[in-house]
Amino acid sequence: MGGSRRLGLRSRVALAFALGALVLSAGLAVLTYQLARSYLMRHRETSVLRQTYANARLVKNALRSADVDIPRLLTSVELPAGSSPLLYQGDTWFGTSVAAGRDTIPAGLRRMVVGGTPARQRYVRSGVPQLVAGIPLPAVGGAYFEVFPLTELEGTLATLRNSSLVAAAITACAGAAVGWRASRRVLSPVAVVSSAAAAISGGRFDVRLDEHDDPDLSTMAVSFNRMTDALEDRIRRDAQFASDVSHELRSPLTTLGAALEVVNARKAEMPERARAGVELLEDEVRRFQRLVEDLLEISRLDAGAAELSQESVVLSRFVLEAVRTRSTGVVAVDIDACAVDTVVRADKRRLERVLTNLLDNADFHGGGVDRVIVRRVGERVQIRVEDRGPGVPREERERIFERFARGRAAGQRGEGDGTGLGLSLVREHVRLHGGSTWVEERDLGGARFVVDLPVRG
Amino acid sequence: MGGVGARILLVEDDHRIRRSLGLFLEDEGNTVDQAVTAEDGLDLFSQHSPDVVIVDLVLPGMNGFDLCRHLRSSGNVPILILTARSDSHDVVAGLEAGADDYVVKPVVPKELSARVRALVRRATRNNVTNARVTFGDVELQPDAGVVKVRGEEVSLTRTEFRLLCELAQSPGRLLSREILLDRVWDYDYFGDSRLVDVHIRRLRTKIEPDPAHPRHILTARGLGYRFAL
Repeated sequence: MGGSRRLGLRSRVALAFALGALVLSAGLAVLTYQLARSYLMRHRETSVLRQTYANARLVKNALRSADVDIPRLLTSVELPAGSSPLLYQGDTWFGTSVAAGRDTIPAGLRRMVVGGTPARQRYVRSGVPQLVAGIPLPAVGGAYFEVFPLTELEGTLATLRNSSLVAAAITACAGAAVGWRASRRVLSPVAVVSSAAAAISGGRFDVRLDEHDDPDLSTMAVSFNRMTDALEDRIRRDAQFASDVSHELRSPLTTLGAALEVVNARKAEMPERARAGVELLEDEVRRFQRLVEDLLEISRLDAGAAELSQESVVLSRFVLEAVRTRSTGVVAVDIDACAVDTVVRADKRRLERVLTNLLDNADFHGGGVDRVIVRRVGERVQIRVEDRGPGVPREERERIFERFARGRAAGQRGEGDGTGLGLSLVREHVRLHGGSTWVEERDLGGARFVVDLPVRG
Repeated sequence: MGGVGARILLVEDDHRIRRSLGLFLEDEGNTVDQAVTAEDGLDLFSQHSPDVVIVDLVLPGMNGFDLCRHLRSSGNVPILILTARSDSHDVVAGLEAGADDYVVKPVVPKELSARVRALVRRATRNNVTNARVTFGDVELQPDAGVVKVRGEEVSLTRTEFRLLCELAQSPGRLLSREILLDRVWDYDYFGDSRLVDVHIRRLRTKIEPDPAHPRHILTARGLGYRFAL
């Protein structure tokens, strides 16, 4: 998979909202602008032209009388601010300002009007938009023009345009925000489902989704719940089976054990072969007993039915006692000065199993226990079981804690070999105590199994 | 084989377990009476007065708990229960019903015989001190094996009696559960402290004026128990 980061669903929804809002508001702005512009223009022109016609009539009437002072006449004409009148009569152009002369009027329009057709035109002169209106005055042989700058109008329109753009931008942002919020509400069922799924995969099978009235979501919720029910059922049945099998094995084991003891008591009187047979029986029954115990233990842990009965335990004393009561040989126990008084909350029975299993493991696979260390490490305390055996290769260090994972010595089974569940039980029990286990390599070879536990009080 | 030579009543419905355990215990020098149901057990009990009763908690008809209660109401015979699991409520419930100790199935025969021996020893051993102790309303006569509360004799099991003697012997001293397990039950460091806890509860019910607020048998939280005169 390449490194490209796709936008999430939520971002895309928000983006779509934003774009939609932008498109709509921009479209609206443009439309408004165009409509307003054409309306305003027309309106302006109409009113301007009305005025122009009125002025033209005035000028025409004034020109009928002889001896009229044309410049003064023109100045006296009523005009909007900034506009200039122009009069063409008898081949002469008259205006009120030097700036607004004949050349301010586009040639085409001039010819047209002088030729007798009234006309108006919008054009730009020196960057300023203008409107020129021309009315022929055939009665006096001339034409009347008025030139109006449209700056004010343009100004208004510019303001309108800018504010429309700003409005469009704001709307787009608002759209994005709405989209973001809305998408959260729409996507919240997705979040609910994923957290439910996470809870279930974490082992909590009592989690179910609300079956909404919402027709779109209820199908999903219903099928999810059904799936979880089926899963829970299946797992429970499996765990129950493992537990039932182990239970059933208890009774025959009791009988075997007791009967064997009776036979064992007479071993010395037996012929050699019978004695060998009894010894084999003894070993296997013992191993079988341990296996059943371990299986029962593990299936209880799997079913989540394990109850811890915790006490405050002085760990150093505990480790000493555990090592002592295991009858195989003498083991050096090294307790750190800081760890002597350390107390942990522990289920004694389980913790004893942990130690026994680790010691057994060192015996079976590590050539015997070298030493056991108890060390404080900050807010934790560690029990380390070390051997001088072949150690555990890096790639096996997680695998050995799995069920029925045998070490490399599995080929040669010694007497009283492990059950294959020892280390996985160690891990589970330690986990129940809020701790963790792992294996390391010792500096001079051999394995170091570490049990790390939280310290209490 | 050095058996103790005790008379044992074994109440177990699974015939293979019953016969093999019976065989084993007899091989160790004991006399074993076998009962299939609790009712049979009660009959045999009144006939033979065994030194120790071994009861499987799961029985057809009347269950093991009720059998314990019956036996308790009529005497102080040491009772050992066989339970399916050590981490279930069965153990505590069995102890509350009157058992002195428990063994988990599958039974390790040597362990069973060790527990039986400990129970028998508790019954016959002389107490360390013979001195009478009086505290509150209670009069304790270790040599006679008698306890009186407000002048009236109270019936304690041998385990309860032994426990009380141990406590009364060291007033003011903190006695950890491990020490009590060792002295009374003969367990090592890894004995089950619930044995101590439940028996303390039972003792309090019998001799304390207000068991919920004990005056003599005090709990030292997380550490053990202390006796106050």
